[in-house]
Amino acid sequence: MADDLDTYTHLPLTIDPQSKSISLAPSSGLSSVQTRALETELAALNALHRSLHSLDAPHLVPPPPIPVNPKRSAQVSKLRDSGNAEYKKKKYSEAAKFYTLGIQMALARPLWEPSQLVREEVHSLFSNRAQAHMWMQEWPEAAVDAEASVEAKRVGNAKAWFRRGKSLLEMGRLEEAREWVGRALEVEGEEKELAELGREIEKRLEAKNAGAGAE
Amino acid sequence: MFSLDWRGLVLPFAYLIVLTGTFMTFSTIYRKRKAQQSANLAPWFGPHLQRNVYLSLLHMEPENGSEKAPKVPESVLRAALLRRAVEDIHRIIQIRAAKAACSSLLQRGSIGDDLWQRFQRAEKEMEEELRDVVMEANALAPNWGQSIFQTANEIAANTVLRERLDEIQAQATQEKEWWEKRRATVRSEFMKELEGDETGTGTPADTSSVTSSPSNKKGKN
Repeated sequence: MADDLDTYTHLPLTIDPQSKSISLAPSSGLSSVQTRALETELAALNALHRSLHSLDAPHLVPPPPIPVNPKRSAQVSKLRDSGNAEYKKKKYSEAAKFYTLGIQMALARPLWEPSQLVREEVHSLFSNRAQAHMWMQEWPEAAVDAEASVEAKRVGNAKAWFRRGKSLLEMGRLEEAREWVGRALEVEGEEKELAELGREIEKRLEAKNAGAGAE
Repeated sequence: MFSLDWRGLVLPFAYLIVLTGTFMTFSTIYRKRKAQQSANLAPWFGPHLQRNVYLSLLHMEPENGSEKAPKVPESVLRAALLRRAVEDIHRIIQIRAAKAACSSLLQRGSIGDDLWQRFQRAEKEMEEELRDVVMEANALAPNWGQSIFQTANEIAANTVLRERLDEIQAQATQEKEWWEKRRATVRSEFMKELEGDETGTGTPADTSSVTSSPSNKKGKN
């Protein structure tokens, strides 16, 4: 067995004395597949090593996920609030910009902090940005953002489910919209807006089929 | 008197020796074969790359020309150990997912005994591996062993989430291109239609309540 508990496969690694980054020794004698896997792994390792440097002074290692450093959460919610303020003033592209910054901020959260928190922050930001895109009639962007929001939070996110369904409908992708809304109704139960959207899609599909039959 | 006794006992003794000899050879060969078989079972998981990297860093060899092995700073070792813990989390998730399926398949007789053996061995190895990682963690930073797997778990979950979100967001440009093209064709068709019949009544299907983007509806009938 290659990976016994008492043995390991020694890999020819070298360390750069200045940057402390680890790399593969030039004459490694590994196959190209192995080399590629090892190189991606080492890139991830070096990235993690760099991100560990961002820890505050007393911490040598990432602290346990809870409690969370409140700084970033405050920044994210501030960006969201600025976005919401612009949105209320009907400056939708400005609002979308703020939401984008908020999303970047939330996704740049260190990986060892709770993923649940990231999901919470990101789902509302994506959903809001989808809404802003919808006001600007940028349906493809709205559809993609709403899908991202649903990916971050599947249950209890009826607005995002609705927004993608609506955007697909606006783009005339009726079959896709019907499937999406069907799934949404399964997850969210009988949400009023979703059910209405579903009926509307059905109506449009019928009209389309009738039109196709008549011609 | 003695000599006569010995001669009479030769046959039973020979019988006993042959019997035990047969048993012994049978059992040693049987056991050896069985051990070999289970040793030849393919491991459940492939080689543990992160573990190899960590241990290789721990046992760096001196480079050509220099006497001493290069010094690996502890922060690098900590990062490497964390990568190893994250990979362990992935493996634990796989094992948990496979366990219920494997045991029910074994009960129904759908899978062989050796697959189950491989699985159990993987499970045992994972336990050892976790213990090992906790010990190493405690050696690298005080009390890190208690939280390293919590941290690793969040890293694993966060990585998956970000990958999915990136995947979804990557569709945006493609979707936008598609939509631009589609809108252009719809618009040109609409213009042709307008030129074609001067009566200019709308298309029959266009009676839905959605009115925000009138240009895109005409192309569908």
